[in-house]
Amino acid sequence: MPDDALLGSLLAAVDASPDDVPLRLHVADLLAARDRLPEALAHCTQALSRAPGDPRAVALLQRLTAAIARPVEPGFDWGRAEQELGPLEAGFAQEYRPDAVTEDVERPSLTLADVGGMEQVKQRLEMTLLGPMRNPELARAFGTSTAGGLLLYGPPGCGKTFVARAVAGELGASFYEVGISDVLDMYTGSSERNLTQVFEAARRNAPCVLFFDEVDALGQKRSHLTHSSSMRNTVNTLLAELDAGRNEGVFVLGATNHPWDVDSALRRPGRFDRMLLVLPPDAPARAAILRHHLRDRPVSGIDLDRLTRSTEHFSGADLAHLCTTAVERALADSVRLGSVRPVGMADLDAALAEVRPSTGPWFATARNVVAFANTDGSYDDLAAYLKQNRKL
Amino acid sequence: MSGAASRVAQLRTLRRLDDAERTAREALAADPQDAAVLTELAAVLLSAERHADGLAAADAAAALAPQDERVHRVRGVLLARLGRHTEALHAGYAAVSLAPNEPFAALGYATVLQIAGRLDDAQRVALRAVELAPAEPAAHLRLADVASDRHDLVTARRAYAETLRLDPDNAAARHDLAVLDLQAHRPGDALRGLVEAGRMDPTQPLVLRNIAAVVWRLAWLLRIVLVVGVFVVIAAGGGDGATPSVPVRIGGALVLGVVAVASWRTLRNLPASTRPATLAAVRADRPLAFTCVALAVCVGLFGAVAVTGIGVVAVLVWLVLALLAIVAVVVGLARRRRTPS
Repeated sequence: MPDDALLGSLLAAVDASPDDVPLRLHVADLLAARDRLPEALAHCTQALSRAPGDPRAVALLQRLTAAIARPVEPGFDWGRAEQELGPLEAGFAQEYRPDAVTEDVERPSLTLADVGGMEQVKQRLEMTLLGPMRNPELARAFGTSTAGGLLLYGPPGCGKTFVARAVAGELGASFYEVGISDVLDMYTGSSERNLTQVFEAARRNAPCVLFFDEVDALGQKRSHLTHSSSMRNTVNTLLAELDAGRNEGVFVLGATNHPWDVDSALRRPGRFDRMLLVLPPDAPARAAILRHHLRDRPVSGIDLDRLTRSTEHFSGADLAHLCTTAVERALADSVRLGSVRPVGMADLDAALAEVRPSTGPWFATARNVVAFANTDGSYDDLAAYLKQNRKL
Repeated sequence: MSGAASRVAQLRTLRRLDDAERTAREALAADPQDAAVLTELAAVLLSAERHADGLAAADAAAALAPQDERVHRVRGVLLARLGRHTEALHAGYAAVSLAPNEPFAALGYATVLQIAGRLDDAQRVALRAVELAPAEPAAHLRLADVASDRHDLVTARRAYAETLRLDPDNAAARHDLAVLDLQAHRPGDALRGLVEAGRMDPTQPLVLRNIAAVVWRLAWLLRIVLVVGVFVVIAAGGGDGATPSVPVRIGGALVLGVVAVASWRTLRNLPASTRPATLAAVRADRPLAFTCVALAVCVGLFGAVAVTGIGVVAVLVWLVLALLAIVAVVVGLARRRRTPS
């Protein structure tokens, strides 16, 4: 009987009795010998699914995967191959889009130790995310999961992105920041495709922290998007990618100023199932931020303690604005005098009269959120803060 | 619609108004004659309630694309918000003339008519929008708003209900329906509706204020019960209020019973989230918080009457209520002075 006729009859026999593992492995062997590696691999995996751990099947699997992954033979004439292939069609060339994520890959050296103050945030991060990730065995023993994402929320300008970078640094992972402009596209289907590409790139570059800034835009409540089927599909794609089960080594973090606008499906287990409130900087953090913004400037007689006390509820961005305003005042004076007049407390006091904390409107909304939307306790941290600061 | 205009529209849908405005202005820097982008910019500025800036963009768009219905629609609403009603009505009419079968053109015109105070015409145009797009929640909501302004409460209630049937998470419709309940002296239903509206969209600033309005209404009702209750106790005492007596005890208990039954009837079936929302509303309104505490003291005084049988204790309720009346007058005057004319 010629070889191929033999193989044909054996394949028919496998079809007739698909549970016959030795027969299937024999067929896989013969297929491998004829260099029909993908078919051989398919039979081998079928055999393994019926007899997990079968030593012959495992050995064959190793042989097949090694053969499939063998390197390109040396001496391959790339130039000739390119000539044979001919020029790329213009349409294809135009279709190419740079990878939305890999353009912005960072490997932050920043860690939580570099984040001034914010001890509560650090403790919560350690407890809910970093601790279980560093000790997966222990986490498993206590029945907790490291899967699922973390949603950082709080008033604007309070360092959510900075904290996310520090988390990536703590984990020794790459940091991919994805903004709405990286994903949203006016053409139908393009936003969904961009989002899929983002996740694929993150998986290729694992371990990494995939950070979605302003996640409320990409994951907005679908009930708000009745007139935009494209945006609803983008939310659906985000849900599907978070659920894909292929996100091993991809730690998804999101940041939003408006967690109440995020679709509730995104907050279910396995997705952004943990929330962390990032509040305006506390006193040590404010002192660190002020010191940072005044460090390379001519200053004299700055009472940092008093300044720190006067800037309660200021966001990091507000503090930067405060310093800039004070510096501008000193600069204007210096220009008028013709000599350097260092920034003093008078400049900062004048700036304090001008710059008000920008977090007020956010807390006004947050108060309503705690009143109406905290039935499941999601905003207990926020409620406690508001109560403590007599805003509730 | 041009690519840039689509992107601006997308950002507007996501309420990223700053980003939308920046994108539109960048596109206009490259092509200042892009009428679609100018129209989108006007719509963005309308959403941001920057009506004067929006009108400048809408005027430019209308000059470039006078046959575009949407330009006139957006321009009409902007003019109406700026109080230029005659021009607004012309623009709104231009929109419906250019696209007589476009439901959103009709909605825009109905809005302009409503703001101009021509409520009968506004309702007719809103009904036309509903005819053109019976599955569009915005059309029913506009009809409901106009009907509510006309005090056509049957139509308004039906249209709000239809809006909520088509879009169960429409917080504006739920809120406005609750306001109708409050006007119809159904404070329990109003409270439930407001709490649901707050849950649907916690960013609505009016909800907490209207919950406070419901609590004020309930406080007034309780005051009336308490004033009548004092008469009941005095009558039961038969002139001698200082000596304990059984009829006074019964009178006090009767008042407490009426208060308990009325409270139960009003507050039963309210969702669990009513309590934190009501507490937040009361805390945010200090005179209301003071009133609530004072009324609780009054109820406590009736409790004391029911236990001791001494009728004169009930007279203290009048003193507390008189104090509340003084506070109400002072607060009313202070608030009137603070309100800009």
